[in-house]
Amino acid sequence: SSSEHKLNFKKSKEACLSYIQDALLQKQWKRAAEFLTCYVESLEKDYSREHIGPSEMIWRIGTEILWHHSQSNMKEFNCFMEQMKTLGVKRYLKVCLEHVFHLLCNGQIDEAYQNLSLAESWRFGEQTAIQDKEMKLIQAYRGLLDYYSWSKQKNILLEHSEDGFSDLAVEQEMHGYFRKAAVNLKEIIKIPGVWDIFVKCYVDLLEFYGDHNEARQVLNEYAYNSKFPANPNAHVYLYQFLKRQGESKKSLISALKVEKRKKRQLGLEVIFAALDYAGWKENAKAWSCLAKQVKQIVISEKHLDWIKQEWNSRKDWWPAFHFSRYLAKRNWQENKSLSYEKALVAGILLGKGCKYFKYVSHQGCKAQLKRFRMLKKFVSRHNPVYLRISG
Amino acid sequence: MEFPAALFPSYFGAGPPREEGSPAPVAGWGEHGQVLEGVPGRRQVQPAFVPRRGATGERWEAADAAAVPVLLPSAGCWIPSAKPQDILYRSSLCRNLRAGKSGATLDFAKQLGHFFVDHPEDAFGSMGRLLHKNFYLGNSKLKRPARNSTIRMTALMEDIDRLEARRGCPRQHLASRLRWFSHLCRDWLFEVPLGLLADCLHEELMQQWSNLLFDDSLTGGALAWLPPEDGGTPVGCLVHPGGQAMNHLYFQDVVLEELPRTRGSPAQFELSGRIQQVAAARVDGQDFVGVRSDYHCGVWRVPGKRGAAPTPLQVIRTDVPASCLTVSPHLPGELSVCTQSGTVYLWSVETGLQQLRHDPQTMFFRDHSPWRWSDFTGHPRVLSCADRTGLQCLDARAPKKCHFDLFKVGEEAGCQQGERVVLPMYLGRAHPSQYLVTTQFSMYVLDERLPLVPVLKWAHMMKAPPLFAHLMPGKPGRSHKVLLGASRTQELLLLQYWGKRSRGTQLACQLVGTPQKLHSIAGCLQHLPTQLPHRHHLLQQRLAAPAAGLTATLQEDGSHKSMLIFQLSEAGDVFCQRLTHNTAQCPATPLRDEEPCANPQPSPAVPSPAAAVRYRRWLRAFSRACREPPRHTWPPSLSQRRLFTRRDLEGPAGPSSLQKQMRQQLRQTMEEGGRIQHREPLALQPPPLPQTLEPAGDPDPLSARLTAAWAGDWEQWWEERTSFSVAQRQRALRERRRRQKRAQGRRSLSASFTSSLTYQSELSELSDTGPPLRSPSRPPILSQESSPPAGSPPVHSSATSAVPDEALLSSQNLRCHGIPKERRKTLRDYLSVWAEGPPEPPEPPGSQASQLCIPSSQSQLSSSQPRRKRPRMGF
Repeated sequence: SSSEHKLNFKKSKEACLSYIQDALLQKQWKRAAEFLTCYVESLEKDYSREHIGPSEMIWRIGTEILWHHSQSNMKEFNCFMEQMKTLGVKRYLKVCLEHVFHLLCNGQIDEAYQNLSLAESWRFGEQTAIQDKEMKLIQAYRGLLDYYSWSKQKNILLEHSEDGFSDLAVEQEMHGYFRKAAVNLKEIIKIPGVWDIFVKCYVDLLEFYGDHNEARQVLNEYAYNSKFPANPNAHVYLYQFLKRQGESKKSLISALKVEKRKKRQLGLEVIFAALDYAGWKENAKAWSCLAKQVKQIVISEKHLDWIKQEWNSRKDWWPAFHFSRYLAKRNWQENKSLSYEKALVAGILLGKGCKYFKYVSHQGCKAQLKRFRMLKKFVSRHNPVYLRISG
Repeated sequence: MEFPAALFPSYFGAGPPREEGSPAPVAGWGEHGQVLEGVPGRRQVQPAFVPRRGATGERWEAADAAAVPVLLPSAGCWIPSAKPQDILYRSSLCRNLRAGKSGATLDFAKQLGHFFVDHPEDAFGSMGRLLHKNFYLGNSKLKRPARNSTIRMTALMEDIDRLEARRGCPRQHLASRLRWFSHLCRDWLFEVPLGLLADCLHEELMQQWSNLLFDDSLTGGALAWLPPEDGGTPVGCLVHPGGQAMNHLYFQDVVLEELPRTRGSPAQFELSGRIQQVAAARVDGQDFVGVRSDYHCGVWRVPGKRGAAPTPLQVIRTDVPASCLTVSPHLPGELSVCTQSGTVYLWSVETGLQQLRHDPQTMFFRDHSPWRWSDFTGHPRVLSCADRTGLQCLDARAPKKCHFDLFKVGEEAGCQQGERVVLPMYLGRAHPSQYLVTTQFSMYVLDERLPLVPVLKWAHMMKAPPLFAHLMPGKPGRSHKVLLGASRTQELLLLQYWGKRSRGTQLACQLVGTPQKLHSIAGCLQHLPTQLPHRHHLLQQRLAAPAAGLTATLQEDGSHKSMLIFQLSEAGDVFCQRLTHNTAQCPATPLRDEEPCANPQPSPAVPSPAAAVRYRRWLRAFSRACREPPRHTWPPSLSQRRLFTRRDLEGPAGPSSLQKQMRQQLRQTMEEGGRIQHREPLALQPPPLPQTLEPAGDPDPLSARLTAAWAGDWEQWWEERTSFSVAQRQRALRERRRRQKRAQGRRSLSASFTSSLTYQSELSELSDTGPPLRSPSRPPILSQESSPPAGSPPVHSSATSAVPDEALLSSQNLRCHGIPKERRKTLRDYLSVWAEGPPEPPEPPGSQASQLCIPSSQSQLSSSQPRRKRPRMGF
């Protein structure tokens, strides 16, 4: 009976697929390849309406095997990819993109460029939304490669100009690359997404040709358009651009999206906030910065309220987080200067009875380090500050 | 920690996921995803690109053929949890499970039936008591007077059996009698109204079924490894649950050798609930271990030095089952707890509970699951909280005001339709701002600084959702390893990723190497010695128990690096496997002549000798633990009813009348459940009563008793005897002594029983304060003739006490009956079997004698034990 046959066929297909999966997950590429040759038969009766049909499976599995198989080479890989492109219309662009990625990762930039150009000219019926996105990506990557060519020509030209002569042909070629790159890059960065390399390259092009307004607009858009994800790099790029443009510090800081306040208070706030994070916990630079600021404030006895304000929201957990006896021991063993800075801050914020301060200053005095003796004196002298902060 | 200078390109959309969702078996293969310039700033030469996925990673190879047990199986057998077969309607099982649809048909009727059978008191207690006289379960027809008030249930039972056999038959409505009966008594027969009961049962069934499809109570896993302190001896501590109910918490020291070995006996705590999750984190050199059961969460502190005892710190109780417990990696004694009511707490051992959020609704869209999760983030005061729809981070100092979305199931992360969060995990030990989120389809790595957009995404292709994950951070320049584990299928997957620093710039996260499947517990079955089929089945069941936890540790011994992975099963078994790092350098692109390198060594085909020893030891302990438990609660019951058909029992055409007579007698005896004592042919009529030696006088009590017993009305004699007042008895005693004196020299029957003299004197000296007289009723009788007349109350005939038996079975007694010495033991054994369960009386109508059996005493039990097993062993 045909239905039974269909069922059996489906069953053996599934079994074959699970064998392949098993082999892939155990890095048995040869075994997987043998099973895949059997699985290819499933293409003959591809009635499936499943999410991923057999042709896509063969593409994915085959690619993975060819990446790792000991006897595969680039030629075979390219050949396989070409076959896969013709196997499914819906996936043509996706397969092209992946093919290009592989070529790029293997340093075959020119082949990749050719493939991108071919893919760009591909047309088949009406494009779906996904195909549209893929096409835009293909164009963007071509733009990126054009940018690299432009950059190469630019370097040649710069070298030549240093030597004192100009090459009109190279310059022409460079401008050509610029136009091609700019058109494609401009397109993709309009769509919400993470386009760090594309934006960087586009801004570089614009800056070279002196179009600073466009560059600023692009960067502003990339950083502040709410449809885009909150990408820290977007702000960094804008900041770097503004810095290159020699903008005032005010606008620089505003580029970093922080509200204005008095400079020093802002600094204190930022450094306290940074040290909240586990990633900054043992950052000696941050601690020395905080120690310096705290010391200044304590000596001048002005703006103690700033410290108090910051300390209020932290006094219940910073002692355990930063100033435990265990950490005192470890910091002392691993990084003496870090422990010095931390001990200073601990002594001011928690008083001279604090475990961290006591341990470090004791060890420092024992080791006869002058710095630590001074530290002890300083903290003892300014102990009333602690009372005012904690009160 | 620097942010990568450039991220891989990706689209960013908002709203619900657009891609159609379905589990794709190979979706994770063959894709680089995106590429990025690897080392920016080297424009002179060609740009070098790196892929988001597919770069070469470290090579880890299995050191042994299969996972090896670490602990011996605990005593007491594991009871496997329910299987789909148990609650699904038979015919729909295969079809629906394959299709993966939830349209499975639950076998509601069967479960309701089970309830009625298992809990008859709860189901029909009072009505049953009222009506039991009116229900007749025998086979014979009812007689006229009884028929007026009694229903014969046997026919109904047969109808039910027939109905069972006709399942699926289109003409199954032809059971009018059942229909009639159910119409008649549906409204009043049940103790709990049937509708209500059915509702409850259905709810429970649905719950069980959804648990079978996906049980999220185990999320996070109940296994933790407390690593040794840096540079110390390689002795860590394995924290795992155990015991039959998984309610014992063990802290077991384990020495990391080629095969990890336990050291000493574990510290053990008995908890009041099944342990669902064990979470651990090291803060300030001390380990904090959080333990979650449904309604209790507890926290233990384990000092850094190995060998120091763990101290329980605090326990909290929740009204609603807790679904999550995580331990802060930042501050000692801080944990976060979520309950199924949608509440998230920050729990500090010092300051107690702080409620951060209470919202029974899910965050981003409506999902029915009450599961909630919470974990810590890179900021000690900011916690993440998750439900099936995504993750939010909230500041514990102002939880209502300060929060942001970290992950959303939606177009933002390129999710598929139907995708749900399964397990979030803070990856702080690898990178302070990174987060792992797994769904049933994919795994994502997120960076707090770039919320909503995953920095890594990969379709993991696991057959069951990954409920467990474990991170092994790599040193700078090396990859971080993430283990994903599923429960039902025991799958284990090793992934590697890194965010390298190169030439002063931070590179974006890449998934490197190929994902690798590790040994599951069930995989070691083929390496175990061959077993008898039923043993094999038990073993298979045990080893295939769903996984319940996962932990791992990296071990570096000079240049030799290895990874130890522990897996816990629901049966409480802990297995481990070792992977070793293969340092042979491999070119990024495999070339034709690089054969030995590009083809990794397959894992060994047979277990190492050391592993084989482990298997044998484990098996031995397993078979000891799982031996059939002694079944001492019910006495043996033999049914003779079906031994012979009616035709067999009809008069045989025997050759001689004597044989005929004998057979007849044998059958009759067996039918009545009596015993045959005499080996010589007997007359069918009881022998005439012996002439009393003292017809006129009052006989001594023993003679009287025996005489009465002989005549068959011994019970009556007993009652009369016990109702004697003491005064009467004393008078009788005096009287008897007088007579004895007078009748000196005359032989009495009692004189032949030497033992009975002592018995007699005891009896006669009985006073009121003495031990209450047992109602011995009818001691097991040796001759068939003295069986009570049919129709005597069954209670009397069944209750048996040990004392008369022993008297009866004493050597003297047996000798008296002329039983040769060598056969006495056999007889005693035989009788002891019967002593426990008395013979079925010849079925008085409406009584079920077998139900009235009582457990027998221990002494009889031991003597009859080997005999009792035989019927089971033989077939």
